[in-house]
Amino acid sequence: MKVLVCGESRDNQPERLFFELLTAGRSVADSGEVVALWIGSDDDALRSQLGQADRAIAATDPRLTSATAEVYATLLLKAIESEKPDLTIVGYTARGLDYGPAAATRAGLPMGVYVVGLERNEGRLAIHSQIYGGKMIARLEAVGAVLAMVSPGVFAEAPAAPLDASRIAKLDIGDALSSTKVHLIEETAPSRSDVDLTTAERIVCVGRGIGDEQSIDLARELSRLLGAEIAGSRPVVDNGWLPKPRQVGKSGQKVRPKLYLALGVSGAPEHLEGMSRSELIVAVNTDPNAPIFNVAHFAANCDLFDFLDCLTEQLSELGAA
Amino acid sequence: MKILVLLRMSPEPEGALDLNADGTGLDREWLDLRLNDFDDHALEEAVLLKEAAGGSVIAVAVGEGAQRTLQMAIARGATSAIAIDWPNDRMIVAPSIAPTVAALARDLAVDVVMTGVQMSEDIVGQAAPIIGGLLGWAHISGTSNVSISAGGALAVTQERGSGFVAKYLVATPAVLGVQTASKPPRYASGTKLRQAAKTPIESVALGKACPMLPVVSLRPTKSGSAKPLGASPKLAAETLVRVLADKGLIRGAP
Repeated sequence: MKVLVCGESRDNQPERLFFELLTAGRSVADSGEVVALWIGSDDDALRSQLGQADRAIAATDPRLTSATAEVYATLLLKAIESEKPDLTIVGYTARGLDYGPAAATRAGLPMGVYVVGLERNEGRLAIHSQIYGGKMIARLEAVGAVLAMVSPGVFAEAPAAPLDASRIAKLDIGDALSSTKVHLIEETAPSRSDVDLTTAERIVCVGRGIGDEQSIDLARELSRLLGAEIAGSRPVVDNGWLPKPRQVGKSGQKVRPKLYLALGVSGAPEHLEGMSRSELIVAVNTDPNAPIFNVAHFAANCDLFDFLDCLTEQLSELGAA
Repeated sequence: MKILVLLRMSPEPEGALDLNADGTGLDREWLDLRLNDFDDHALEEAVLLKEAAGGSVIAVAVGEGAQRTLQMAIARGATSAIAIDWPNDRMIVAPSIAPTVAALARDLAVDVVMTGVQMSEDIVGQAAPIIGGLLGWAHISGTSNVSISAGGALAVTQERGSGFVAKYLVATPAVLGVQTASKPPRYASGTKLRQAAKTPIESVALGKACPMLPVVSLRPTKSGSAKPLGASPKLAAETLVRVLADKGLIRGAP
């Protein structure tokens, strides 16, 4: 099976996910090729790091240092048309979720998204896709060419290795940069002035199960007793109950505290991406099938308000803070 | 500004999910459906943009309960409503509905299509880039704020992950996958809902789907190895206090 892997670069360096996607490609290529698509200002990093690919095609131009999804889609489509891969792999990233489906649609390819597994079975490719907020795994089978968007953290990173220049072909970028309709004006880094969850040792995170804004005060009192920062999942922040710098997950902060106490957080894949590497994860949820329990070390399947009352009372008596 | 907003009905995020007899989907007989969260935000952003720039919002809904959702959309500020005919025993996936939405957008000559950035039931996930790809229009996903720039293009803020935020100018016509509206979705009053119930709702037939992969089987995600803290909230709290004390994360223990 011929596999085309489209990873992403930032400041002309491959994102870590690129190395995971190479592993994903190799896992199903068998005797076929793994071809990397590199998009960047030059191919230095490609030559020095992406040798786990059998060969590569490189779209290079100084203006590709911060290419938009629109440009990625155009270049990926060119690569698909020239390489005709059996499987195209794209990362499930903020940028990938725009250019992956767009390129697949324009190429007439079916897709599997939220991919957490790939396997070959009697020549057929099976794709495992995590849906319903992480509660279910759908098995999809491809009979022809297909595009898969692989979730971060599923495959191990392939080790960096040099790629011989003879194995790199140029991809003509054509009018990919001149015919654009989406123009990046600026990109801003997260403000650390309010709170920096990425350095917090303890985090109490509230999810949709907290119910309303007033109830967050109960979690605030618990976080005070634990010496923890208060944080929220996406629905809590979207509702305006907590400010954006306190959001954990794919579109928020990625954290690794010593303690992550999740209260009423269901554990959608996008949330788990931001906290699953925490040292100690404790989850409290009334839903016994909540996906947060799949990454938690300790679980309480009970009413979170009753639990909050009991834990707050016990910590108050101990003077734990 | 003529805006089309796509609204999809989705299983309750906190609800129980039971498999159907052949294990290829959910048993939908008693499945609770509600408006997809992200589509709720897309509706709000569409109405906010209409209020700021003038124009109209055409709400297009699909799935069981679409009529009720369209009435709610009208009550919240949409100007007209269209339901896509949908077999209620099937999961809603973007390649099934994108061609119909794209055809509507083209026929109605809209300037902007908005929908939620994703939907948890959708094995393909992103409708916006598929609709954009079919139409050949500009598209961008993960938006958190949309306005009109001085030059007439859309000024769009996008959440890129890890707290990074990007700002773009997007030429119209365009398709936007909304992550978060500029303001939390508004509530519709009972009075407005009663008025909205009188608004006629058109219906359109479902068109031919894009290529997509069939679901061969569906299974619950394997449960993890989390240790139970206790059968009652009190016992769970007591156990957690001991665990935290053992790990030096709090002072003292009972």
